[in-house]
Amino acid sequence: MPVHGDSSDRCNNDNTVPSSSIDKQFLAAPIKRAVDKYQLLPEFLKMRGLVKQHLDSFNYFVNTEIKKIVRANNRIVSSIDPSIYLRFKDIRIGEPSVTVDGVTENLVPQTCRLSDMTYAAPIKVDIEYIHGSHGHKIRSEKTDVFIGRMPIMLRSCRCVLYGKDEAELAKLGECPLDPGGYFIVKGTEKVLLIQEQLSKNRIIIDTDKKGNINASVTSSSETIRSKTVIQMEKEKLYLKLNVFSTKKIPIMIAIKAMGMESDQEVVQMLGRDPRYSALLLPSLENTMEFSTNRLVVKSFEMYVSISSSFIPCTELVIVCFNFKCAKEGIYTQEQALEYLLSKVKNFNCPSSEKDGKVIAIFKDVFLANVRVRGNNFRPKCMYVAVMIRRIMDAILNKDAMDDKDYVGNKRLELSGQLISLLFEHLFKSMITDVRRAVDHVLSHRSRSSRFDFSQLLVRPIITDGLERSLSTGNWDVKRFKMHRKGMTQVLARLSFIGTLGHMTRILPQFEKSRKVSGPRALQPSQWGMLCPCDTPEGEACGLVKNLALMTHVTTDEEEGPLITLCYALGVEDLAFLSGEELHAPDSFLVVLNGNILGKHRRPQAFASAIRTLRRTGKVGEFVSVFVNEKQRCVYIASDGGRVCRPLVIVDKGVSKVKEHHMKELADGVRTFDDFLREGLIEYLDIALYEKDVEPETTHLEIEPFTILGVCAGLIPYPHHNQSPRNTYQLCRMDTLLYLLVYPQRPLLTTRTIELVGYDKLGAGQNATVAVMSYSGYDIEDAIVLNKASLDRGFGRCIVMNRLSAINQKYENNTQDRIIRPDREGSDAARMQVLDDDGIAAPGEIIRPNDIYINKQSPKVTKGPPRTRLTDSDYKPSYQTFKGAEGELCVVDKVALYSDKTNNLCIKFLIRHTRRPEVGDKFSSRHGQKGVCGTIVPQEDFPFTERGICPDLIMNPHGFPSRMTVGKMIELIGGKAGVSCGRFHYGSAFGEPSGHADKVEDISKTLVEKGFSYNGKDFIYSGITGCPLQAYIFMGPIYYQKLKHMVLDKMHARGSGPRVMLTRQPTEGKARNGGLRVGEMERDCLIAHGASMLIFERLMVSSDPFEVQVCRVCGLLGYYNHKLKTGVCSSCKNGANISTMKLPYACKLLIQELQSMNIVPRLKLAEA
Amino acid sequence: MEGKSYQRFPKVKIREMKDDFLKFELRDTDASMANALRRVMIAEVPTMAIDLVEIEVNSSVLNDEFIAHRLGLIPLTSDRAMSMRFSRDCDACDGDGQCEFCSVEFHLRAKCISDQTLDVTSKDLYTADHTVVPVDFSDPAADDSGDQRGIIIVKLRRGQELRLRAIARKGIGKDHAKWSPAATVTFMYEPDIRINEELMETLTPEEKRSWVESSPTKVFEFDEDTQQVYVCDAEAYTYDDEVIKKAEAMGKPGLVDITAKEDSFIFTVESTGAIKASQLVLNAIEILKQKLDAVRLSEDTEEADDQFGELGAHMRGG
Repeated sequence: MPVHGDSSDRCNNDNTVPSSSIDKQFLAAPIKRAVDKYQLLPEFLKMRGLVKQHLDSFNYFVNTEIKKIVRANNRIVSSIDPSIYLRFKDIRIGEPSVTVDGVTENLVPQTCRLSDMTYAAPIKVDIEYIHGSHGHKIRSEKTDVFIGRMPIMLRSCRCVLYGKDEAELAKLGECPLDPGGYFIVKGTEKVLLIQEQLSKNRIIIDTDKKGNINASVTSSSETIRSKTVIQMEKEKLYLKLNVFSTKKIPIMIAIKAMGMESDQEVVQMLGRDPRYSALLLPSLENTMEFSTNRLVVKSFEMYVSISSSFIPCTELVIVCFNFKCAKEGIYTQEQALEYLLSKVKNFNCPSSEKDGKVIAIFKDVFLANVRVRGNNFRPKCMYVAVMIRRIMDAILNKDAMDDKDYVGNKRLELSGQLISLLFEHLFKSMITDVRRAVDHVLSHRSRSSRFDFSQLLVRPIITDGLERSLSTGNWDVKRFKMHRKGMTQVLARLSFIGTLGHMTRILPQFEKSRKVSGPRALQPSQWGMLCPCDTPEGEACGLVKNLALMTHVTTDEEEGPLITLCYALGVEDLAFLSGEELHAPDSFLVVLNGNILGKHRRPQAFASAIRTLRRTGKVGEFVSVFVNEKQRCVYIASDGGRVCRPLVIVDKGVSKVKEHHMKELADGVRTFDDFLREGLIEYLDIALYEKDVEPETTHLEIEPFTILGVCAGLIPYPHHNQSPRNTYQLCRMDTLLYLLVYPQRPLLTTRTIELVGYDKLGAGQNATVAVMSYSGYDIEDAIVLNKASLDRGFGRCIVMNRLSAINQKYENNTQDRIIRPDREGSDAARMQVLDDDGIAAPGEIIRPNDIYINKQSPKVTKGPPRTRLTDSDYKPSYQTFKGAEGELCVVDKVALYSDKTNNLCIKFLIRHTRRPEVGDKFSSRHGQKGVCGTIVPQEDFPFTERGICPDLIMNPHGFPSRMTVGKMIELIGGKAGVSCGRFHYGSAFGEPSGHADKVEDISKTLVEKGFSYNGKDFIYSGITGCPLQAYIFMGPIYYQKLKHMVLDKMHARGSGPRVMLTRQPTEGKARNGGLRVGEMERDCLIAHGASMLIFERLMVSSDPFEVQVCRVCGLLGYYNHKLKTGVCSSCKNGANISTMKLPYACKLLIQELQSMNIVPRLKLAEA
Repeated sequence: MEGKSYQRFPKVKIREMKDDFLKFELRDTDASMANALRRVMIAEVPTMAIDLVEIEVNSSVLNDEFIAHRLGLIPLTSDRAMSMRFSRDCDACDGDGQCEFCSVEFHLRAKCISDQTLDVTSKDLYTADHTVVPVDFSDPAADDSGDQRGIIIVKLRRGQELRLRAIARKGIGKDHAKWSPAATVTFMYEPDIRINEELMETLTPEEKRSWVESSPTKVFEFDEDTQQVYVCDAEAYTYDDEVIKKAEAMGKPGLVDITAKEDSFIFTVESTGAIKASQLVLNAIEILKQKLDAVRLSEDTEEADDQFGELGAHMRGG
């Protein structure tokens, strides 16, 4: 397993103790007793919630990040008169509210959902600004100036739901189990998905397509984001930076431009290993003239050998460096800068000086994460040297290559970060906008007008920008070169688990279309962080991932104190070290968040010191320390977006969490935080059971099933299934039913189910399943259902549909009206569902073509304002219900609200109760879906002597190829469960810890209750009454009804609508389209010689059209109705016209070709 | 075909009888007879069940259809059902199913006015006809403290109200399971267990004990005093073959011989409470007779073809 930055602390698990010594050590080890650490989990989730990552990140943004952004851009200075300025002193986000007609009202999420509003809060700033008139300026201050509205994440610290208990939530119309973590934008719930990114500010070594080794750093600082690449091509090192027009800049020129003119210094910075120097040689040559003789090279080699052998030989060095003359003639910083200036592309730089430009690039763009004080580029040179060293390590030893797919090299961007990016962009745009406006005012100022800066601040940029991005999901931030689509999705509300699963989903950084296997493969480093099962099938397979149950995503932490701490713990500052010293064999580089702090001589001691501080709570719990022996570095990370998870600390082979701790937890004296604070548990990025703890073990897993995500946790015994089956199941998860009439709690539960509350919001039923073949209607995974079970409510579900209507206002002061229905007239029958107010009444049964709103619109809606309209000025514009025939729907709810433009809107919720029918889809929890093949009355169903009759019969052929042993265990576990009255458990990997019942124990229970140990029963046929020859495997399995129901798909048509353009029948069920006889069907008919059928299908029943064809020119003419004859428009006569039938699409093609200057001519022959 | 009669005279012996439970033996007949009886009990014995619900006010959390479905599944006492008419062939009301011959009307009015949730149960259904009422499962022997309150329909919170009119009609389980009077109807073949005593004697007491214990149900017993194995409860045998497999594993095949008696059945009938279990059997026999009569009467007529199709032709020897 690769060891890297964030998998810190995992030092010695990979080398197991040699077997000979085990016994001794085992005997010497203290006696351990297994402590049930499971209780930590509910405690953890109580503290953290299931979507904490989103909430944390948003809270961080709202409380900290937003202030930082404003602090970094706090001045708007007029470019005309620099003394006129505006300064932002503070920024804060208020309570969610909305202002309509000057009245501010507090907002509640439920009202936003119902009335298509955005759940947002005002952003308020405190400002200090200059205003005044007639040339004399006054400085004044203002507080709580409104600059825009920020959409608020539900249950975040700015949300009204924050910290509310169940009763209060119910009062606000919120479900207490709803996790929050999403936004409501224009009435739809939007999730800002977690984005996966390559980590910022870290050196990543990899190869490009040509096999060249690259060291790349994606830098990100408050002001700029840039990517710096150093590439080894044909043994020479180049710098790639996209502000330079030439793709490649020799690295030595760049180094020289930064003021490190001496090659010796460069070589020294790489350390004294001759291998490195040898590799650097070709790059140095780049700056040497090729014509210079071998002597130079030779002397250089001499220098190398001398310097590596520790004999200072300055004289010789000087000689050889004097000899050399650069190929480009570049020896000094000035020359380098000049050379580079010619390569600079259009780069907007505040300082217009020539030299300044390149210097500015090196200061701000090149390795932007490394900060430069004054013009001291030494830290950047050092950084470059480290990059080059890493490249050379990679050349000498392929292992040093970084794995881009490694989770430690990934950062997760959460909603807070994404919103902050967007906000920063919008805020800056607003500032430029305001500046422009100020300049405009100042330049055309009539002396008398008063000038007030603060008035200009009110702009819709921020409000609109945030709302637009969230509702479309497009993050177009040009400033940061970010153009991403599909960042937000409508929250999946089909099932509770679907919702949760949606919140933990991680979107990939790559496009889905790329045919690469690497990023899709399951990474060993995903262990415990990302769910190994939960990924979609198809193109996004392996790219879209889900968080595991206990994963936490970190937020940024203050670096300042950490840096001070590091220096206090004996890190030697980079600034005082020479290159030679930096790479001394006994020292390790200390790297904090990608920045080199300096070196340390005793890395392990340093790392453990930080660890101790972390465990005592002196340093943030998410700070990670890791000693990389290979790279001779100590990595410390405190940046945001790292994935981590809590583990129990093991000290000298003894778990720190003891029984009394757990007892205190159970008594409620202790919380999860106490465990953290007392250093019993810590967050880590990696031994399993206590009995496996060896003296080298440093950490202990809390529970093994936490490696799975929320969704995968629902599957009982997933470790007994073939792994793709689990994945299939998860894909199915979000396609759950709409609303089940009698939901049940699964008989075979898992700990995860209890933890996430699925037992409170079930989505399926425990069906007694007989695994046997029956009736032949059960082939290909079809299932046979018991009619009596359906009568009693099995699989019954409610489908909800939403209709809406707007009472529109028009520009001429008129508006639609809703009137009392006509109880007598011809439409009376269709208006039965209407109340006297002309709107459908809740509880009414509504049939297809029924009018649900009796609306009328004015005939004239434009022009001058009109008043006093009479009945005759209106035309009916009622809306009719378009349900399928034979569907019995009921109006469930009617909601009235006003939209943004103050129009009255009416929303209807239509409900339809459905019982399962042939063709509806069902699925167990093991990726085994099946459609209902037939429904059989109860008396025909097989029965046992006890009188048990199955609800559902499943064909045994579903088992062998799918190998879903978990399903079989679920069956017998469920059977034992019902017979003994205890819910059985099937948590993943739960057998050793007692969170899953063993088959042996289940069998024992079965035998106790008089069943066969193997779950099979002796069964009689319901049709003949004779016993069946085989014993039948029978018991309860949790089944879910899927949303694919026949009623939604069933479709046929006779004649119907046609497409305007081609006059062919429309396509698709929604448009009442026809069923296409496609190419293949056509081929089939041709093979049969069924020409008349083809003619009928493709022409007569599709788009027949009569055309006038000129026999002379072969072009299409037209029919002149006055003359009652066809006329050819090119021959200008009607003499040689024939009438024929063509498909309209053919005529269209001919005309389209004509429009492109191609003349298709028809040659007619007598037939 | 003629001459020989296959007529048999089945015997019924009642073993155990309670209001809603009946266990009896049916002997001297074959599986077709037993199964026919079972099928009729499940699907064709008529009962009363709520079939039409008119909701006046429903402010409960459950929607109208939901409540209607729940009401339908409440068993109603249906002793009168056999003599009532199906509303589809009721002359008195032209089949709209609202007359006294084919329907019973119920009313339900409930409103919660206290802070405690109110359970609306089957006991809140009122009817004028005392012969058709929701089944009362409360044990009369137990004290009537009132905590057993019938079948819950819906729970109401403060201010919620439910007011409806429901019509119960006669029907059979074939149409909808709510009309099925049978909760469980099942039968088993009576097992015939013969222990090979000679072979049994060759076993040691330990072996005997382990053999006896190999059966998941308690069929055999080992007498510690006499050191003998005997059959204590033949009917507890579930045809699981475990003892036979065990005997084979012990190297004593043929230790026991178990066969099902092809002509004796042990029936277990549990009723939903709509009619008594004993009545259920009697009604089933009655209906079965009617069906057979219909077959017999139309044996030679032309209608037989309409009514029974191929079966009729077959019976006429075609």
